[in-house]
Amino acid sequence: MSALPAPPSKTQATVWSVIAGLAILACLVFLDVDWAALLGLPKSSWEYGVLMFSDPTWSKLPRALFETWRSISMAWLGAIGCVVISIPLGMLAAHGVGPTWLRLALRGLFAVIRAVPEVIIALILLTVTGLTPFTGALALGIAGIGTQGKWVYETIESLNDDASEAVSAAGGGKAAVLRWALWPAALPTLMSFALYRFELNIRMSAVLGLVGAGGIGSMLSNYTNFREWGTVGMLLIVVIVATMLVDLVSGAIRRRIMEGSRARGLVRRR
Amino acid sequence: MTLVLPPKPRTWPKTLLIAGALVAFTVLTCLPAIGGVELDFASIAKNWRHGASKLAQLAQPDFSFLPRTWVPMLETIQMAVVGAVVAAAVSVPLTLWASRPTNPNSVTRGIVRTIINVIRSVPDLVYATILVALTGVGALPGLITLFLFDLGVVVKLVSEAIDSDKHAYLEAGHAAGATQFQLNRALALPQSLPLFANQWLYALELNVRISAILGIVGAGGIGRLLNERFGFYAYDDVSVIILEILVVVILIEVASNLLRRRLA
Repeated sequence: MSALPAPPSKTQATVWSVIAGLAILACLVFLDVDWAALLGLPKSSWEYGVLMFSDPTWSKLPRALFETWRSISMAWLGAIGCVVISIPLGMLAAHGVGPTWLRLALRGLFAVIRAVPEVIIALILLTVTGLTPFTGALALGIAGIGTQGKWVYETIESLNDDASEAVSAAGGGKAAVLRWALWPAALPTLMSFALYRFELNIRMSAVLGLVGAGGIGSMLSNYTNFREWGTVGMLLIVVIVATMLVDLVSGAIRRRIMEGSRARGLVRRR
Repeated sequence: MTLVLPPKPRTWPKTLLIAGALVAFTVLTCLPAIGGVELDFASIAKNWRHGASKLAQLAQPDFSFLPRTWVPMLETIQMAVVGAVVAAAVSVPLTLWASRPTNPNSVTRGIVRTIINVIRSVPDLVYATILVALTGVGALPGLITLFLFDLGVVVKLVSEAIDSDKHAYLEAGHAAGATQFQLNRALALPQSLPLFANQWLYALELNVRISAILGIVGAGGIGRLLNERFGFYAYDDVSVIILEILVVVILIEVASNLLRRRLA
């Protein structure tokens, strides 16, 4: 007679879900929020929505387009700076490339940069380069290194070892392995991440606008403070359209790059 | 028999074209006349000491400030958790609507995708700025900002992941005569739950980071304190807050990695 195996115990899972549920509940209950304001939000957002979008101030459009290009420029140059620095550093931080002490030091550096908010980096840079878009580009470049470097070493580490082994077997040193095995295999993914950095920077450049680095973010926060809702509505439309356009173009290029790499079968799918 | 090598593929015209396009775009972004960025490396050489002295001040954290950070930090974590949980709950139906295998109706799919794309294309700080104007200073505008941001991230990434997967089990369910709702409820949802959980945890991590910035526009949390101390040039306090954010983010990352391994 065959006995059925005992059903797996669910006690542990239940206990953990109850703890998680209580924690979430505690967060909700003790959060100091004016819930009455939430009830009034649909009405007030409708009112402000009408103020913003019933008659957008299109006369300020040329200025908005100028500032949009400034934001795109900051994002692009920041992405270039970030990628140019983080690719070599990230490669050195990958397992089996650099020495252990360097790997740990670089990973620590990436983690610290990731923890510092972009705005703080921008505020420190303000003292060096002033209230200019150049500061914005520099801040985006430096702030992105933390995440970008992490992506680079994760990409290198997820590659198949076969090509590296083949190069080593043929007598190649570490530099040869990097150049002829890792670099060509990782390049499509790295380029795709570089474009993704550009997309992220587009969103982030609006944030930097708030601290005065210029671009569409500065204009938007200024006109919000002036309570000129018609202009704010126009700027929101410009921001949404510009961001979607950049995403569309950049996303199409990324897909083209990545599908090429998948066909070659070099990158292991995660 | 002689070995004939295949001719080398001619790739240089294409490479040249791509490089040329990149250089042209870069040059356009460097023209101040049309809104580009003026590259002013001379000012770095001239003023780098200002930044270095700020960094030196930041490198000397004053840990006696730590007790004053507990309450705002707690508020940040609360905002992050509540925002992520509410977004998680709302993200499930929206994701299933936005993905091809779980919603064959292209009209509703298109509507949901467009809404999500619009939500995603507004930067988080812009939401916070406008919401502070609408509801006043406090945790509420920050909470709504985090909710909208998380919703955009989760729905977009998970629906794309569902789109790119193979769905043999859905076909089986379909062949057995299930309705689309039954398919989603009994097959697609359990199958994509790990994908969801992964992104929910990721959203939680991002929330702690973002709330450091949200305080600048008055949307509550540790960011407000950070901004205030920065305004007072109290860099020793600022670095304590930054270190605290670093610790919290790492803790959440470790916890969510443990959870991910269990869920996978």
